[in-house]
Amino acid sequence: MTLGDSTTTPRRTPARPVVHARDVRMTYGDLDVLHGVDLDIHHGEVFALLGPNGAGKTTTVEILEGFRRRSAGEVSVLGTDPERGDDAWRSRIGLVLQSWRDHRRWRVGELLTHFATYYADPRDPAELLALVGLTDQAGRPVERLSGGQRRRLDVALGIVGRPELLFLDEPTTGFDPEARHEFHALVDRLARDEGVTVLLTTHDLVEAERLADRIAMMVGGRIRACGTPAELAGRAAARAEVRWTADDGTPRRERTEDPSRLVWELHRRADGPIAGLEVRRPTLEDTYLHMVHREADGADPGTGTDMNTGTGTGTDEEAHVV
Amino acid sequence: MTETPMRNALRAGFQRGGIELRHLLRNGKEMASHLSNVVVALLVAGFVGDDVPGTRTPMAHLLLAGFAAYLLFQVGMINLPQILVTEREEGTLLRLRATPGGIPAYLVAKCLLVVALAVGTLVLLLAAGALLVDGPLPHGPGDWLTLAWVTTLGLLAVVPLGAAVGAVLPNPREALALIMLPTMGLLFISGTMIPITSMSVPVQQVAAVFPLKWMAQGLRSALLPDTARTAEVAGSWELPMVALVLTAWAVLGFLLAVPLLRRAARRESGSRLSARHEKAARSGAPT
Repeated sequence: MTLGDSTTTPRRTPARPVVHARDVRMTYGDLDVLHGVDLDIHHGEVFALLGPNGAGKTTTVEILEGFRRRSAGEVSVLGTDPERGDDAWRSRIGLVLQSWRDHRRWRVGELLTHFATYYADPRDPAELLALVGLTDQAGRPVERLSGGQRRRLDVALGIVGRPELLFLDEPTTGFDPEARHEFHALVDRLARDEGVTVLLTTHDLVEAERLADRIAMMVGGRIRACGTPAELAGRAAARAEVRWTADDGTPRRERTEDPSRLVWELHRRADGPIAGLEVRRPTLEDTYLHMVHREADGADPGTGTDMNTGTGTGTDEEAHVV
Repeated sequence: MTETPMRNALRAGFQRGGIELRHLLRNGKEMASHLSNVVVALLVAGFVGDDVPGTRTPMAHLLLAGFAAYLLFQVGMINLPQILVTEREEGTLLRLRATPGGIPAYLVAKCLLVVALAVGTLVLLLAAGALLVDGPLPHGPGDWLTLAWVTTLGLLAVVPLGAAVGAVLPNPREALALIMLPTMGLLFISGTMIPITSMSVPVQQVAAVFPLKWMAQGLRSALLPDTARTAEVAGSWELPMVALVLTAWAVLGFLLAVPLLRRAARRESGSRLSARHEKAARSGAPT
C-alpha cells in the first residue's frame, strides 16, 4: 500500500518523489520508535508531518535529513540515500531547526554573507535579508535579535543555498500572530514561486492546514492518515454535526456520517425552509484528536491504517453551512 | 571535481577564522581574561628577585619561560575544548554539519583562531616581559629557531589533544571543572614555576609523561643562557627528547582527535540539541 501519492496531483508532474520512504523502522534497544513509515513527498509540495510528542516525527525527519541511521527500510531523498549523502547532496537541502542558538556574536549580515560562500549559486544576502524582513537588523549581533527575528534569520540561512528541499521544524513556535502571518506568506512564496519542496513538522493544526498541500498524521510511530487537509477532515471517523431549530422552538442537534442525507430528509419532512440549519463538518482537529485518543485508549494499532484507504470526499461540496 | 569544494571549504574556513578572531578581539570580557594571564605572569616575575639555585640566571626568567609554555598549553588544553563544547551546545557544529564543506571549514577556522591566540599571547608576554620586567629574549638565530620549533611542535602536541578532549566533554559547565584541575596540577609539577629539580623523583617522572614539562624545557633552552642548564634534571636541555615527546603527543592527539571529532559531528542532530537545551534550562543555566 502506498500512502499519499494516490490522493493528490502535484503541481508539476515529477519523475520521482523528492522524498520516498518505504517501511522505515527504528529501534532503540527493545524500544520500537518507528513501525514501518511510508512517505512520498513530491516536487514543490508543502508537506506537514503532524503528531503529538513522542509520535516519531523527529526521528522520521532526522532520518530524512541524514542525521540518524534507520534500523530498516528504504529511503531516498533527492534521489540519494541520506546515510550516504555527500556535500553535493547537502547543498540541495535546507534546514531550519528550533533549537539553534549558534553564532551569537556574529552580525546578521556578516553571518548570511559567510554562509553564502559555502554554496555554488547562493542567493544574494541583501535580497535575502529583505525577503525575511531583517534589512534593518543587518548590522546587529545575532544575540540581540528577538525570537521571531532569530527564527527568520534561521530561515534565511536555511535557504541561502537555494535548496530544493527545505526542512522546517516547529517553525513558528513563539511567534506573535503578525510574525506568524508573515512567515506563512514567506513559505508560500518559496513553494509557489520557486518550487521549493517543504517538509514541515508541527503541533499546530491551524498552521498545517494553512500551509500544507498534504498532511500526514503520525501517532505511535506510524503514519495513520495522509491526504489534503480537506480529505483528512472529511475522512474523520468523527461525524459531522447537523443543528437546527425544531418547530416547537427547541434547538436540535444530531451527529451523522451523511449530513447531506439528513438535511434532505429534514427538508422533505418540513416541506420548506428549516430555521437555524447548520452543518458542521468534522475539522482537521476532530480527526487529529480522534486519532490521538484512539491511540491513548490502546486500540489495536493495526486498525489505524484503514484511514488511508478511506473512500475520499465525494460529498464534500454538500457539507457546507446552509 | 574534488578540488573545487576543498578549496571552497578552505576559503570559507579562512574567512570564518578571520571573523572569529575579530569577534574575539572586540569582546572585552574574553580579551580581559586572556590578558589577565599575561599580567599575572608579569607581576609574579616582577616580584621574585632570586636567581635560579646554582645558576646566575634570574628566577624571573625561568618563570616567564614557564608561563610562556603554560599559556601555549592552556590555549590548546583549556580554551580550545571550551570553545568546542560551547559551540557544539549552541548548535554551531550542527549548522556546519548541515552545510556543504562546513566541517572542514570549521576545523580550518579553529586552527587559525587557536594559533593566532597562542602566538599573540606568546609575543605579548615576551615583549611586555622584556620591556617591563627585564624578561628574557632569545640570543642569536639559533635560539630564535628553537623558540619557533618548540612553539610549533608544542602547539601540534596540545591542539589536537585539546580538540579530542573538547569532542568528548559533556557540556561547558562541567567541562571547565574537568580540565582545570589536571591542568593546574601539571602547571605545578612540570617545572614551569619552580625548578623541576626541586621536585621529588617520582613527581618528576609523572611530569615527564606530559607535554607541558617538555614545552617549558624547550622554551627555557631558547630563552635562558646555556649556563642555566645546570638546573635541569639531566644537566642539559635534552632538545632531542623535547622533540621526541612532543611529536609523540602530536601523533597521539591526531589519532584521537580525528575519530572523536568525526563522532561528535555525526552525533549532532536537532533533537540532541533540544534535549541539551532542556537539560541546561532545568539545571538553571542561562541559555
